[in-house]
Amino acid sequence: MTTVPPAPVVMDNAAAYAVNASKVYGAGDTAVHALRDVNVGFERGRFTAIMGPSGSGKSTLMHCMAGLDRLTGGETYIGDTAVSTLNDKQLTELRREKVGFIFQAFNLIPTLNARENITLPMDLGGRDYDNAWVDEVISTVGLADRVTHRPNELSGGQQQRVAVARALASRPAIVFGDEPTGNLDSRTSADILSFMRQAVDDLGQTIVMVTHDAVSASYAHRALFLADGRMVQELADPTPDKVYDTILNLES
Amino acid sequence: MLKLIVRGIVANLGRLILTLIAVVLGVSAVSGSFILADSLRSVFNQISEDALAGIDAQVRPIPSDIASAFGGGGLPTFDESIVDELEALPEVDRAAGQVSAIERVYTVDAEGEIVRPAGPPVFANSWSGDSEVSAFTLVDGTPPSGQQIAIDQGQAQKGGFSIGEMVDVSLANGTIEQFELSGLIDFGEGGTGGAYFILMDLPTIQRATETTGLINSIDLAAAGDLSGDDLVDTVSPLLPDGLEAVPQDVLIEENQESFGQVIDIFGNILLGFAFVILFVSIFIIYNTFAILVGQRTRQLGLLRSIGASANQIRFMVLIEAVLIGLLASLIGLLGGIGVASLLKWVFSQGGNQFPEGPLEIQPRTIAVVFAVGLFVTVASALIPAFRAAKVAPLEAVRDGGRKERSASFRVVTGSIVLVPGLILFGLALAGSFESTRNTFVGLGVGGALIFIGVSMLSALFAGVVASGLGLPVQSIKGITGRLARDNASRNPQRTSATATALMIGLALITGVAILTASVIRNFDEILEDAIGSDLVLYQPPQGQPFSPALIEPLKALDEVETVSGYAAFRGAIDDDVFDLRAWDSDTGASVINMGLTDGTLESLGTDGIAVFDETATERGLSLGDSVTFEFEDGAFEDFEIRALYDNSQVVDGVSWLFDRAVASEHVATDTVLWIGVSLVGGDDPESAAFADAQAKVEAIVKDQPQIEVQNNSEFRQAQIDQLNQIQILIIGLLAMCIVVAFFGIVNTMVLSILERTREIGLLRAVGTTRSQLRTAIRWEAVIVSLFGSLLGVIMGIGLGWATVTAIPDSFLSFVAIPWGQIAIYLVIGALIGVVAALFPGARAARLNVLDAIAHE
Repeated sequence: MTTVPPAPVVMDNAAAYAVNASKVYGAGDTAVHALRDVNVGFERGRFTAIMGPSGSGKSTLMHCMAGLDRLTGGETYIGDTAVSTLNDKQLTELRREKVGFIFQAFNLIPTLNARENITLPMDLGGRDYDNAWVDEVISTVGLADRVTHRPNELSGGQQQRVAVARALASRPAIVFGDEPTGNLDSRTSADILSFMRQAVDDLGQTIVMVTHDAVSASYAHRALFLADGRMVQELADPTPDKVYDTILNLES
Repeated sequence: MLKLIVRGIVANLGRLILTLIAVVLGVSAVSGSFILADSLRSVFNQISEDALAGIDAQVRPIPSDIASAFGGGGLPTFDESIVDELEALPEVDRAAGQVSAIERVYTVDAEGEIVRPAGPPVFANSWSGDSEVSAFTLVDGTPPSGQQIAIDQGQAQKGGFSIGEMVDVSLANGTIEQFELSGLIDFGEGGTGGAYFILMDLPTIQRATETTGLINSIDLAAAGDLSGDDLVDTVSPLLPDGLEAVPQDVLIEENQESFGQVIDIFGNILLGFAFVILFVSIFIIYNTFAILVGQRTRQLGLLRSIGASANQIRFMVLIEAVLIGLLASLIGLLGGIGVASLLKWVFSQGGNQFPEGPLEIQPRTIAVVFAVGLFVTVASALIPAFRAAKVAPLEAVRDGGRKERSASFRVVTGSIVLVPGLILFGLALAGSFESTRNTFVGLGVGGALIFIGVSMLSALFAGVVASGLGLPVQSIKGITGRLARDNASRNPQRTSATATALMIGLALITGVAILTASVIRNFDEILEDAIGSDLVLYQPPQGQPFSPALIEPLKALDEVETVSGYAAFRGAIDDDVFDLRAWDSDTGASVINMGLTDGTLESLGTDGIAVFDETATERGLSLGDSVTFEFEDGAFEDFEIRALYDNSQVVDGVSWLFDRAVASEHVATDTVLWIGVSLVGGDDPESAAFADAQAKVEAIVKDQPQIEVQNNSEFRQAQIDQLNQIQILIIGLLAMCIVVAFFGIVNTMVLSILERTREIGLLRAVGTTRSQLRTAIRWEAVIVSLFGSLLGVIMGIGLGWATVTAIPDSFLSFVAIPWGQIAIYLVIGALIGVVAALFPGARAARLNVLDAIAHE
């Protein structure tokens, strides 16, 4: 297995990519390098898992890719847009139009019902949206009979499905998941992850997911490994076993 | 978007209800002030119209600034002979001479006490028949005639009189006569406003008020269709000098205007208090929004990360504030009706009967209430809204606490507010703002800035102080005390914001307490120094003027050394009208010590005057100079300055003092405000000689039960009691601030506990009992409220001290700090914490342990 980091990429087919992405907290001796010159691209229509131990920088990479956090060096792109050049208003629009999020927990606004949560990003943008598409997403995630329920009337798995549906409903260029199944049991996780994979395969969605779980990563087309802020390994069509091996290998 | 906001409000209803209460209280106070004043105004307007309904025109003395003083006020002033002349005119259908005298005649109950309301006056009026010309309507019995009276129902009830009964009546000449109660009357449609009326026929009332042959007005009814103006034109040429005829509409207008002025003052005072309450509630609204925004940080982050813009977040919080403001204004508008009724009730406990009439909500009130309610809510939510908009999208995934502002930022911003406040307040105290109005604005704005500044700065030390206050709690209560202490000090910003409302309330109350205590002590000191007489005769409660007829019999007593009557009247120098005082100058010096600086008082005579030395200096006058006065009878006279004095406070701050003979000569009816008596047998009230002398004096006034005979210290105490009542009233109104502050503490405690649900679940899971939990929460609230109370009391002492010090020494020469009273305020502050913790504590104790731990 190679440990050579992937070469800098500028991909024609990338939904998002990072060039020499660096993130440093603090300065001088106490400086913490969360990301060190990371170059990575995420192809359209692919499901990518970002893996790595705690503190490896995987979440930071995702946050910076998504415009939630700012790099201290390098650049990230969503499509052709350089994220660091955007001001707060443009970033807001970027998130609204081009990016979907699925967090580990507390994804939903407790006062809105499932359907309202799903259409919230579009409501916020004041956009007209494709009701048929929203209905399709809702039925695909299997929530058709739950749309009028509030989050506290839904199970954890159902809540995450709503979150997934919300991320997909606005047909964003890319969906970022931050350990989207981290709080769920393995069966529910499998359910959600297959649905995410399905969304990529059937609907052509692009999804990038941070996870530290080998089984979760195996649902992706590709797994990237970070350690100490560096991209250290890449695995195509990961299986749980291959992922375990890679992790063990990296740790040794 | 709007759906999100509305759902947010509905979901947070429990939390917002307490905010709502804070706004509602403030707004209700404002709306109540307007409603009460408007209602009073319209009732009094109605009374004016009713009272004058049958009068087409009135003949009366030409109003003069000089005459409207105590002495001549309300007493008959001109000869009645003109009435017959007027009645004989073909244009006049009816002419009725009227007598209306204030505080001259009283009914006396079975115990020998006069029957009077606590506040409003007692009128003695002529009964001009149950006709259209009369403002009075007979509700029962027959009109009074000869040795008969008719009185209002309130008086009859209080005195226990019924129709047909013989009633003792104390007359102006100091005798008591029996009259038969012939009837009960009502005044206009709206009642008497708490005043008492005694009605007799004209000759009898003139005898009773010692004004035989005199009247103070003539009511005219025109014959046929003649208008009031035409009647005035007809009558005017016939009137002697000094009298005028006025048509009905002018009379009504004048009446309404003079009522209106009083009501305006009353309404503005209430409004002033209402705005103080509103100001206090701003801090509570602000605090609630700040906490709610803090608690929703994660949700706001989520909204930001899925595409909500900063503007949308800000808008969301502000719209929430607008909706709450609207709702609170609506409730507050209705709450104002409650406040107005409450105020009516409170004031009527003091003896003022408020006229009956519906409470009136004018469009202006609605507009002001909504404007004020919206403004305070939105203004209070402004900072939290901007803070909310600053929440970063990443907060959605971070379990981060709120970022605290740095200490230096607080010092800078706090000082930016505090320093101008102190300067403004100081300048206002120093009298740099010429007009009274500007001075009050300076004090108000300066004071508000000081409170805001201190509130901002107090976050710097709230943690340390709360921790310090918690130390004894911890050592007594052990672990629950420890929890209370930590919770009270762990979020200094919240502790200080919560305590602010209480701080302001107590600062104002303490300041007022110091101011009034200082006034009382200074006043007492002055009276002690100044009053040389052993007995004082005066008419409670307000010291209404009474007949000086008592002076001669008092002088005749062997036990009495000197007697001096003290009178008030008015005069003008070059058209500037002044209050004047007069006494029996040959004996006056033994009754009052006025701090003579030059000349002698004994030789004032009828052409001499004593002048306050500062006034003399201002006007460039000195001993031997001459001053010309115009009096209410139109006479001009010259007076030589024969004495200068520096203790003007003992003569009500008046600068000009005459011999009483001057006052008697120029006023229509001779009266005194009080009479001082020095006894031969010394000034020890405990001695037998004193008691004997006092008994003899009392025997002389026994037919005038309205007159009180008090020894020196009783008299002083009576004056002080009056000041104390004013203090109680002011502090009572300010106590509303404490009520608002109370809700603020309840609010914060509830919100804090909600925030700590998980933590409380953990505490319960590891074995904390419900009662331990309640104890911890109770003490937390006590520590927070003590912090606010302490800060408030310290500020109050500062403000009170500064105010008293700034007042010239000639009014207030030293500061009195009522420590006992202040200690009580601190205890009340702590108790507020105890009570405020009841509901939040019970709520926390009820939490289901498992649910609590699972809480987000």
